[in-house]
Amino acid sequence: MPMLTNLIRGMKSLLRSANVERDLDDELQGFLDESMADKQRSGYSPQQAEHLARVEMGSTNTVKHHIRSVGWETRMENLLQDIRYTIRTLLRSPGFTAVAVLSLALGIGANTAIFTLIRQVVMKQLPVQNPQELYSFGAAGAGGMLGGVDIGTVELFPYDFARQLQQQPGPFQSTAAYSSFAPMVNIRIPGSAEAIQAPGKLVTGNFFQVLQASPLLGRTLQPSDDTVKNGNPVTVISYHFWLQSMSADPTVVGKTITINSIPFTILGVMPEAFHDLKYGVRPTDFWFPLTMAPSVMVQDNILERDHYFLDMVARRNLTHSLTADQHWLDSQMRNYARAAAGATLSPARQQEIDHITTPLTSAARGLSSLRNQYGDSLLILSVIVAVVLLIACANLANFLLARAIARQREVSTRLALGSSRARILGQSILEALTLSLTGGLLGLGFAFVITRALIAFVMRGSPDTVLSAHPDGVVLSFTFAISVVAGLLFGLAPALQFARSAAGPTTLSPSTRSTANSSGRFWPKALITSQVVLALLLLVVAGLFLRTLRNLQDQSLGFERTHLLIAEIKPDIAGYTPENVPVLNQRMLESLSAIPGVRSASLADTPPISSGAWRSSMHPTGYTPGQNEEMGALLRRVSGRYFETTGVEIVSGRGLAPSDTSTATKVVVVNQTLANKYYPHGDAIGRTIGVDLDTNGPWNIVGIAKDTRALDLRGAKQEPLIYLPIVQLSGAHDSFANIILVRTVGDPTMTTRAVRGALHSVDPNLPILNIRTMQEHLDTFTSSETLISRLTSTFAILAVLLSAIGLYGVMSFNVARRTNEIGIRMALGASNSGVQWMVLRESLWLLAIGLAIGLPATLIVARFLRSQLYQMSPFDPVVFAAATIGIAIVTIVSTWLPSRRAASIDPMVALRYE
Amino acid sequence: MSIERKSRMGQHDVVQGTLEMLILKTLALEPTHGYGVATRIEQVSQGVFRVNPGSLLPALARMEQAGSVKSEWRTSENNRRAKYYKLTARGRKALAAEEETWNRQVSAIARIMQASAKATSEA
Repeated sequence: MPMLTNLIRGMKSLLRSANVERDLDDELQGFLDESMADKQRSGYSPQQAEHLARVEMGSTNTVKHHIRSVGWETRMENLLQDIRYTIRTLLRSPGFTAVAVLSLALGIGANTAIFTLIRQVVMKQLPVQNPQELYSFGAAGAGGMLGGVDIGTVELFPYDFARQLQQQPGPFQSTAAYSSFAPMVNIRIPGSAEAIQAPGKLVTGNFFQVLQASPLLGRTLQPSDDTVKNGNPVTVISYHFWLQSMSADPTVVGKTITINSIPFTILGVMPEAFHDLKYGVRPTDFWFPLTMAPSVMVQDNILERDHYFLDMVARRNLTHSLTADQHWLDSQMRNYARAAAGATLSPARQQEIDHITTPLTSAARGLSSLRNQYGDSLLILSVIVAVVLLIACANLANFLLARAIARQREVSTRLALGSSRARILGQSILEALTLSLTGGLLGLGFAFVITRALIAFVMRGSPDTVLSAHPDGVVLSFTFAISVVAGLLFGLAPALQFARSAAGPTTLSPSTRSTANSSGRFWPKALITSQVVLALLLLVVAGLFLRTLRNLQDQSLGFERTHLLIAEIKPDIAGYTPENVPVLNQRMLESLSAIPGVRSASLADTPPISSGAWRSSMHPTGYTPGQNEEMGALLRRVSGRYFETTGVEIVSGRGLAPSDTSTATKVVVVNQTLANKYYPHGDAIGRTIGVDLDTNGPWNIVGIAKDTRALDLRGAKQEPLIYLPIVQLSGAHDSFANIILVRTVGDPTMTTRAVRGALHSVDPNLPILNIRTMQEHLDTFTSSETLISRLTSTFAILAVLLSAIGLYGVMSFNVARRTNEIGIRMALGASNSGVQWMVLRESLWLLAIGLAIGLPATLIVARFLRSQLYQMSPFDPVVFAAATIGIAIVTIVSTWLPSRRAASIDPMVALRYE
Repeated sequence: MSIERKSRMGQHDVVQGTLEMLILKTLALEPTHGYGVATRIEQVSQGVFRVNPGSLLPALARMEQAGSVKSEWRTSENNRRAKYYKLTARGRKALAAEEETWNRQVSAIARIMQASAKATSEA
């Protein structure tokens, strides 16, 4: 402490300005002078007068010290004293302090973790200049390539339209386009043997200028890099790729790497914080000029009209009205559509074109698929963790309240000895803040661990991520703020109790211990009741999410989910052509089928369930479509043993067979929905169907397969689906298979290595993007549901535990406080069981009131979750009953011990208690 | 609790806890400097109470911090630079409150003193 005192003294002399010191001297001197003058007037000699005046004043330094001590430094000294006192008090009851700090740390840690993710996933702006000026054309939620559609009907754009707007941006400052998805490319780095695969985007040359994003090294792309089809082999690489694959080489700019067999020059490296405008879980690693699209995407005609694969973004002039800008954009798209439609335009078509629009959508925070997928879950979770923290606060309020009551005597004594009421209140708040800030500090550690676990879950084992668990300044301030708010929240109740005890002049009497005023009993009960309400709410929400997840997972999918391995390959970027890929396909199937423990293997364009879809318009013979009827179907290209391998049941006719070769009659299998919709009389088999593909039909329907979950787990609608044999397809892309399905006898993960080996033996350069089981693949469809149900149940259990601790604490304290009274009751003839029942009854009452408030409140809240649930009512009786019973059991269990203690009080001891 | 204490010159320090009230009252009459407050208390109490500068000046500083008085530098009647103190609105309110409390306490004490005198005489 002397060190601190010295420090403060030093600070005083430093901070107190010379002016203030001089004023102080002047005032004292003035006083002395006046006093001396007066004394001389009453007849003293000047010397006597001065002597007397000085004696009266005493040491001027002491007076000055007294005056100075009125300033803030003294308060600082007091504060330090109080902090020491608080820490001593807290350390004197280590058990209480540990429970308090730990429950706060969990509550604050959970809040910080969720906030860290919300900040990154939902709130963070793009790390570019003036991001608020960026507007996307549409939400850019989709990624893919479409043909045969109108501009404006999907939020994707063709190359020529993008170029037109880039050259004439109209009211916008500028516009740019980029591929709506990041195709995988095959990369060979000089000096390393293995080729690697990474995602790259195709962007217009002005993309980085429009975003106003600056590079870390070198330069970004420029319009002059984007001029000649396949003639601009340059690229900008991500920080991540630079670090992982280029060893953070500072001289990387100007070096050459081979991408899809073409040497590309590296122009620059983007900074770490830049994850692209539109990003998903996996960060983009390359940006190529759009003119390189044919070789990067391995599709020569991609830049021609009718390939809708670009997203567009504009930098707006914020002084213009959004409506006017929107109007201009719509008119551009309508003109484009009119030009495409040609001279003859039916009035109906004209009307359609007049309704084309794509809403300008703010892209200030980037376009994140993570936000789409997890945004809602994270916001729900943020409410849930706030509730957990509230419960923890209620607990601490109760504990501190109990201590405040127990310490009334001490407080009264201190007041009587002249301590100021403000200081005692301050100390009580200080104690709460010390607890909450310590909890917050520990909570930061918890938050880091929780966030890391959450990110690992979201990433599903992928090492590359756009998310980080490290707290930044904003997160730290958030943690500090909620710690302070929590501290004030639970520090308020005991502080008010102190204020009351200070007002009562008779608190020295010991009798007040057993007969506290009614308001002193009200608050603990109110807090317990609100804990019951909140815990019930969390249990119900957790129950609803758990059951939703189970409903999603347990539904019938139409295919087998076990013993199935999925390998993703990419033959096109390794240089395979439509001519030689059938041989590869054949050899892969042979090699895979030879693996011991493999029942069957098949090729496909996608797994049986896949959010990516290949669609086309089609024409079932014998069916006359209604006016404007959408005649489309999902397409799956598969190899012969697909139905055996996936377990999709053939309900009628036959599946595909080895005899369906490239030269044989063209055959397809359709799903039940297609068969029933277009051939309601059950005569689908034997009919033909036309499909708008590079390969001409007609296709003979030879079998009907059972409907499957083809796109997602939630969608209600079944779509028509056509299975085409891959060997009978031709054209630039249609003979490529990107997925290998392997049905195994035993655990499919045991076969992973053998599958890899088999593919390697066919072609060591064949890119294998990943190998996973069907179960792992299915898990990606329920990831946000899994996340939210796991976290809500964890938090609900935490909340119930905290409430139980709170209830136990309050009941134990009450029993201890009423020892005297209980002793009297027993002396007057109350039975043990009667006393126990008396204590139990009190908590059962609280439970009943909590349920009476909590059940209706939960019903109201549950309604908001309807859209998150699957095949169940938000008022599911099972969930509500289970939550109610759970709360009741916890209440009884946590009151049982205190009630036993009450019942075992010895009246003789109790009466002497005090 | 000792209410008063003999001082060297046959005078008394002010009753404990009343110094600020007395200062407020003095300043309510007219703004003045520290020495002015001291002399006025002494004069009005006809020499019974005296305030020594060691407690007066810190009290003024405290009251200034609390906002019940404010100060400015002026030239005194003796042509010296002096710090003048003046009552603020808050100070006026504080004075009214303290006066009321004081009056209640004095009359209560007076009643107690009479009652105990009676009790002693009856015994």
